[in-house]
Amino acid sequence: MKTKLVLNFNPESSNLPITHNLIAEHGLLVNILRAEIDEVGGKMVIEVSGKPDSIRKGIDYLKGASVGVRPIKEGVRRDDTVCTHCGVCVSMCPTNALSIDPKTRKVLFTEEKCVACGVCIDACPPRAMEILI
Amino acid sequence: MTKPKKDSSSGVKGKTYGEIKTRASEGNAVVMTAMEFKEFVRSNGVKKAANEVDIVTTGTFGAMCSSGAYFNLGHSDPPIKIQRAWLDGVPAYAGLAAVDLYLGATELDESNNMMHGGAHVIEDLVRGKAVRLRATATSTDCYPLKEIDTYVSLKTMNQAVMMNVRNCYQNYAAAANSSQKTLYTYMGKLLPELGNATYSSAGELSPLMNDPYYRTIGIGTRIFLGGGEGFVAWEGTQFNPGVARTPRGVPKRPAGSLAVIGDLNQMSPEFVKGLTFTRYGASLGVGIGVPIPILDEDMANACAVTDDKIFTAIFDYALQKRSRAVLKEVSYAELNSGEVSVKGKRVPTSPLSSLYKAREITTMLKKRILDGSFVITEPVQRLPMKKQMKTLETRSEKEAMK
Repeated sequence: MKTKLVLNFNPESSNLPITHNLIAEHGLLVNILRAEIDEVGGKMVIEVSGKPDSIRKGIDYLKGASVGVRPIKEGVRRDDTVCTHCGVCVSMCPTNALSIDPKTRKVLFTEEKCVACGVCIDACPPRAMEILI
Repeated sequence: MTKPKKDSSSGVKGKTYGEIKTRASEGNAVVMTAMEFKEFVRSNGVKKAANEVDIVTTGTFGAMCSSGAYFNLGHSDPPIKIQRAWLDGVPAYAGLAAVDLYLGATELDESNNMMHGGAHVIEDLVRGKAVRLRATATSTDCYPLKEIDTYVSLKTMNQAVMMNVRNCYQNYAAAANSSQKTLYTYMGKLLPELGNATYSSAGELSPLMNDPYYRTIGIGTRIFLGGGEGFVAWEGTQFNPGVARTPRGVPKRPAGSLAVIGDLNQMSPEFVKGLTFTRYGASLGVGIGVPIPILDEDMANACAVTDDKIFTAIFDYALQKRSRAVLKEVSYAELNSGEVSVKGKRVPTSPLSSLYKAREITTMLKKRILDGSFVITEPVQRLPMKKQMKTLETRSEKEAMK
């Protein structure tokens, strides 16, 4: 099982080695998609993979360590009524979540590949992409 | 130019505009989209195509900055001779009598961080929305009103006409960035160290690529414009036909362009789209389709051109100068493949114009010609072949008159 989580830290919890603990103590695979820290705390977007039970226990551990946890189904959303399928976004997308179908020349958005880096947001001329985290 | 070219040796009998129009009006014309026609030529050869096909529909949808629209608002009571005007906060030019305005696509709403401009207001009007009009004036005896604050829409205006001075470029540069920082340009976001390359032409689908010497596309040609019908009004600004060309005549650099005109009331937001290029500003996405009559074998040959035979250059936008360094000459087939090799580096490519929409336009235009709702026209006058592009220099009054 795989799930994406948005984690919010206050300044105290920012110092905890939570990634290490998720890996070492809960046997989860952790992929860090985004990480930001400033004077009021930090935010991290991670993708965790493992057994459903381990993920549940991992989330319980995070909550116990005063880390805000919000699972997300999607990080970036495309408004299909706005997209013109120009393709400006495809050369910037680091994971090929955005690609052009060579047959139809439509821009495909494969959400499972999206790591919510946000590079496409301000690159999109008709402003079809929205970041949700 | 209406005379059919008879070439007995090739076995191709030319067609006149009259013959093609008659066949179209009787529902007997053979009309193909540019994609279909190129495929037909691949399988059957140019001669058969020249004999059997009457019209090829071409199309493009992309950011066309030199666009805009003029409006006649009707007169207020008491009347006003508008001197300054804003439509949804975007300044419109009012130096045309009393209640005529011109709104440019790239004009910006200065309060909104270059995110909202004339192009967005034009799209909103096409969508049927009302926009806020604010206008001020110096009171005169015949036009006493000094200011007005109201709403207008296409329903309240006498005329709302798209009038674009440079659209439908015949070829365009491609862009990359060799510097260390991301550049935000009218060619989109250019990642540092040749992180990506962007290009703008629809290549083999693009109208002027299929009529490289402007034989059938000229002043008065009826076109698909923004979903409705429009006309070629003039040569586009910066018209520059004298650039280097391939053996079959296709320019290797930006060359011709079209000034076009059409009624905003007929248009659709699918083909008139307000665009925002981050830290550059607004531009208008415009869809244009042009039917090309296959008068003879030469026209069939011209329309048979494919992306592997159309070239442009990738320029280095790191140089903030008028002439930028060419990084590489490439074909549109290479650009469309999604990756080009520049200086030994694999560079991902992005189109700025939508080939998906360009194809949609060629299909829609074909359908309209076949059902008789779109009638092709012969140009009233041809576009100039001898034009050169001049530059702007800081010069004295005397130098400017030389």
